[in-house]
Amino acid sequence: MLEARLEQAQILKKVVEAIKDLVQDCNFDCNDAGIQLQAMDNSHVALVSMKLGSEGFSPYRCDRNIALGINLNSLMKVLRAAANDDLLTLKAEDQPDSLNLLFESSSQDRLSEYDIKLMDIDQEHLGIPETEYAATITLPSAEFQRICRDLSALSESVSIEATKDGVKFECSGDIGNGSVTLRPHTNVEDDDKSTKIELTEPVNLTFSLKYLVNFCKASSLSATVKLCLSNEVPLLVEYQMGVGYLRFYLAPKIGDEE
Amino acid sequence: MVAAVSKRVLGDQTASHNNHFNSTASKKRKLDGAGPSQNQKHTKLSQAKSSFEEDLGRLTQEISDLKGVNAETDQKWARPSMDDWKPNEIDLVFQQIDTEEGYWSGKACVRLFGVTETGHSVLLHVTNFHHYLYVQAPVGFTQSDLPRYGDFLEHRIAAGGGSIIAGTELLMRENLYGFQGNIQSPYIKITVTDPKHIPKVRRFIEEGDSNFDGMWNGVSGGIMTFDNIQYIMRFMVDTKMSGMSWVEVKKDKYTYVKPGLNSGRLGSAQIEAFCHYRDLITHQAEGEWSKMAPLRVMSFDIECAGRKGIFPDPKIDPVIQIASVVTRYGDKQPFIRNVFCLDTCALIAGCQICEFSKEGQMLRAWTKYLQEVDPDVIIGYNIANFDFPYLLDRARTLRVDDFPFWTRLNGIESEARGTTFSSKQMGNRESKTTNTNGRIQLDLLQLVQRDYHLRSYTLNSVSAHFLNEQKEDVHHTMITELFNGTPESRRRLAIYCLKDAYLPQRLMDKLMCLINYTEMARVTGVPFNFLLARGQQVKFLSQLFRKAGEQRLVVPNREQRGGGGEEEQYEGATVIEPTRGFYKEPVATLDFASLYPSIMMAHNLCYTTLTKQEHMDKMGMKLDEDYHITPTGDVFVNTSVRKGLLVTIFEDLLGARKRAKNDLKNETDPFKKAVLNGRQLALKISANSVYGLTGATNGKLPCLAIASSCTSYGRQMIEATKAEVEKRYTIANGYTHDAQVIYGDTDSVMVKFGPKDLKTVMDMGEEAAAYVSSKFISPIKLEFEKVYFPYLLINKKRYAGLYWTNPIKHDKMDSKGIETVRRDNCRLVQTVIETVLKKILIDQDEDGAQAYVKDMISDLLQNKIDMSNLVITKALSKEEYAAKQAHVELAERMKKRDAGSAPTLGDRVAYVIVKGAGGAKNYEKSEDPIYVLEHNVPIDTKYYLEQQLAKPLHRIFEPILGAKKADQLLTGDHTRTISVAAPTMGGLMKFAKKTQTCMGCKTPLTRKDEEGGAVCHSCQPRSAELYQKTLSKVSDLEVRFGRLWTQCQRCQESLHCEVICSSRDCPIFYMRMKAKKEVEEMGKELKRFDYGLSAW
Repeated sequence: MLEARLEQAQILKKVVEAIKDLVQDCNFDCNDAGIQLQAMDNSHVALVSMKLGSEGFSPYRCDRNIALGINLNSLMKVLRAAANDDLLTLKAEDQPDSLNLLFESSSQDRLSEYDIKLMDIDQEHLGIPETEYAATITLPSAEFQRICRDLSALSESVSIEATKDGVKFECSGDIGNGSVTLRPHTNVEDDDKSTKIELTEPVNLTFSLKYLVNFCKASSLSATVKLCLSNEVPLLVEYQMGVGYLRFYLAPKIGDEE
Repeated sequence: MVAAVSKRVLGDQTASHNNHFNSTASKKRKLDGAGPSQNQKHTKLSQAKSSFEEDLGRLTQEISDLKGVNAETDQKWARPSMDDWKPNEIDLVFQQIDTEEGYWSGKACVRLFGVTETGHSVLLHVTNFHHYLYVQAPVGFTQSDLPRYGDFLEHRIAAGGGSIIAGTELLMRENLYGFQGNIQSPYIKITVTDPKHIPKVRRFIEEGDSNFDGMWNGVSGGIMTFDNIQYIMRFMVDTKMSGMSWVEVKKDKYTYVKPGLNSGRLGSAQIEAFCHYRDLITHQAEGEWSKMAPLRVMSFDIECAGRKGIFPDPKIDPVIQIASVVTRYGDKQPFIRNVFCLDTCALIAGCQICEFSKEGQMLRAWTKYLQEVDPDVIIGYNIANFDFPYLLDRARTLRVDDFPFWTRLNGIESEARGTTFSSKQMGNRESKTTNTNGRIQLDLLQLVQRDYHLRSYTLNSVSAHFLNEQKEDVHHTMITELFNGTPESRRRLAIYCLKDAYLPQRLMDKLMCLINYTEMARVTGVPFNFLLARGQQVKFLSQLFRKAGEQRLVVPNREQRGGGGEEEQYEGATVIEPTRGFYKEPVATLDFASLYPSIMMAHNLCYTTLTKQEHMDKMGMKLDEDYHITPTGDVFVNTSVRKGLLVTIFEDLLGARKRAKNDLKNETDPFKKAVLNGRQLALKISANSVYGLTGATNGKLPCLAIASSCTSYGRQMIEATKAEVEKRYTIANGYTHDAQVIYGDTDSVMVKFGPKDLKTVMDMGEEAAAYVSSKFISPIKLEFEKVYFPYLLINKKRYAGLYWTNPIKHDKMDSKGIETVRRDNCRLVQTVIETVLKKILIDQDEDGAQAYVKDMISDLLQNKIDMSNLVITKALSKEEYAAKQAHVELAERMKKRDAGSAPTLGDRVAYVIVKGAGGAKNYEKSEDPIYVLEHNVPIDTKYYLEQQLAKPLHRIFEPILGAKKADQLLTGDHTRTISVAAPTMGGLMKFAKKTQTCMGCKTPLTRKDEEGGAVCHSCQPRSAELYQKTLSKVSDLEVRFGRLWTQCQRCQESLHCEVICSSRDCPIFYMRMKAKKEVEEMGKELKRFDYGLSAW
């Protein structure tokens, strides 16, 4: 038996919105620690890892491990029916056929209830081992989104070069080239607007912009985004949600590979 | 539940394999019954004999049994000796098989190659036949002008280069095109000394430079010439000789050319002679003369040792083996079987092995062998585009100058030339042709491509289709390995090669192509090799000229328009709007027999009867009595005024067909039966092709008036039939139901009479056909042929039904326009549609059909469908496509990966659609099936469901269930179990680590003590049960793999060798590859329990 109540429906809504273009069907793994999701996109270049810790729900109850196979498009259809500040309760049996979603509007005394039919997804469970990254960059998520969007107009891929002086996003395409450099700086009034770089050695890697733009859909989840890079290791893009995180891993482009 | 499903799938497949086993086993038994083979040759075999080898061994024995009956003995190369043949003491009678232009003592002649009844080869030069053309004589041109006109032409055209014009004559002839009022007018026949002058003369006249004496002043532009026909055809038409027919020259009429170096012989035939063309007696292929001479048919195949990854190149890669089998026409078994091979080769029972240490030697010896065997027909698979050119190029590289002499003419080399063949029926094809003057070639590949629509045209799949035999397919890189091995491995290769040589022979026998094409040549009167090299038109023209000659008609030479020109359109046949639905009562089908021919006959439509209203008025003809106007407004005279030439041709053709069919009924000899059947088919085809040619505006003799009149009459008749049937069979007229015409197309109408009883409906159909026929002009006849019961009418030209011709048992399941026959979809669609139709129509089990579809869809989504079912094949036909296409893109990508094994132009590319990044186009998602298997790339099951299955299934189920329920088939609960495979490649896969999930409840095992184990804590109690389950899965898979492996070994016919076959057409191949992978993976799963055990 799973019963989890989320204060704000928008958290789940934003998560699903952010990943539904990468992943269509996936298992939500529920256990006593919380709800987790791990899935790869179809072309196996990117991996999504999401965790909503049990402390983010009140109450949270999960008697045994349950894998909820959900089609994200269907889930999105249902979640659109919820207002952003609705209370959201997820309920499922131990051997569930469907997931029950309950939206409670605090202001209007409105209760809406939905059931989604679950799927039985036979999926291999893949994870990226934790690594020590050579460079960790924290920057405002809006800034990152803007860089990705601007550069994607020029090219399909971007090289990210991190040195102790700053981080440089550079691309070149048919119509020309462009680059954006960010220097570390601290905003005293609002720490969220600071750019921080922790570096053990300089790195330079190339990634597909198509995917980065896709990841940026999660910008609304968090004011800052953390980019972790090491040479020849996938890029980690992390959005902290307070009660958990949404992580994206993206394989670097090597050589002339498309 | 999941396990149960997979179990069942497994069970099904095993059952089908058992069938395979049984069939081979029974074959084995039969062979054992035949007794041990008594081979003269001593063979030391380290391998068990394969059944093909046993076949070979048996052949020797059977043929030695036949000795005495057969004139030829086993493995004797040469033709029967000439000892008892004395020139000019016997009439020269032979079947001519090839005809060509040539020269005899400096003059143009026709060469006939052929074989006598005793099996001697003949070359006959027929002399003194001159080519000619006609020009309409201008007003005032008289007999006395002829010599001067001849001189005039001679003077103007020859320009000093020898004589051109052999003579001129004034003859009374009639123009074929248009009704001439039955009046013949004078035509000048211009005869030339050499056929090659004809085009010059024609051009000169047509270009308008030949206004002789100003007599043609009234004509603007050029002057039309008549009778444009090739020299050979002219000869055949005038001597009434048809292709593959028998000819005779009386003993005192021919001159024998003695053999010997300086005697003047031109060819290598046993008998060479010449005669005047008037002395040539041609026999029509009827009665005694419909027999066949004992033609020698040689089928061969070569193997070359290619390098890894590169298609063999004759400049570098040697030919290592040439296998051939020679069969006398009419014998069941080949009497020569041999393999020429490079290096040593272990002996094969019943087969000669000629070993050579040098490749050049081998090639030279092979040509010698070919010349000695002197085959009349050379067949093989893709010989025209591969084997012949390869051998020739190879010989050139090795400088074996005396190699390319495969013709029957001394000193004439065989050369491979590129040709393009384009016809409306076949489309454009580029190919190579190699001349083998005097020998007919039949490339089974070209033939099958032309006559049959198949999924794949490899020898493999073609023989699987027609002979029900899978053949092992050794990849060309494997061949080199076998060749570089031991005599034993070369022996293996030799058997493979020999089998490839023998299969075309068997295919030819099975498809009866030689007989059918012979009959086609005889019926239409064209030489045999025209049938393969030319389109439909030449056959029709040959018939037309023959008939025109009898009626003293001349055929105008119309300027041909270029192939690229737009075709004029006219209204085609009619289609009665279908009343869609699933009919559970019998639906009778009424067909017009030979619709267009019978319309042409009934309404006297022909070139010779076409006229204009003004002409009719001028001649004082009366409408209806003397002429009639077709629904399109074209005017044709009636039979009473003039009978159309086409009508006569049809009468002959249909009459001959009737006779052939009658004879067929009474004939008992299987060979004569085959001949007769071939003939009636040929007659039918040529009768039906006439209509098409009158409508082909870029053809030689188009006549839209005829074509459009035909279709307009056809439309009227279909409408009339509908009206008549629906008027007569009504409740008001005392019948139980109102009949309803539910569909009609071109030449047939489908009638729902109403009663449920088959017998009643059949009787009604019979009666209705007779009744409606009586309303039409003879010979138009409506025939009742069959009843569909039940009948699923999906749309125009799309329907399926159970086909009944008698009320006791149905004949077959018939479907038109449904995805069962198309090639551009995967086998899954075909199987599903076929099974669904079978369930709906034969079992009448609609629920069962739905359940089946649901099962299949759910299997598909769970990746349980075998890969071979998902493979789509498409031919890579040209380099540049405007739009990107899946198979072209894949071929490109494969070329980057490995240039050698990538498909090249003309190959069929096999691919599957795999999952791609969001929004990826289909052409980006195509992938090589082998690659997919090896790397576990996930299949885009949604593509298969939505793009491939959805539409055809919807179409079928819509009339039965209604649109809404039909849609549910694709979205119901059964689509909620899916499986997502993780590939072993892809950008991120290098970094990702697989987290094991619990085998019981699928939750990831992330805790330290669970990691690497099989089950999670909550499932611990079930671990014994789960272990049992996994174990049984492993053993099931092992058994399955074992079975597939043996199946392949049986196919390669040796149970002691490793399987090396990599045939991408064979479903077993993919199954075997997949099974291998599954066994390995399942084994790993099982090992996980070990961890759990040791941890305890």
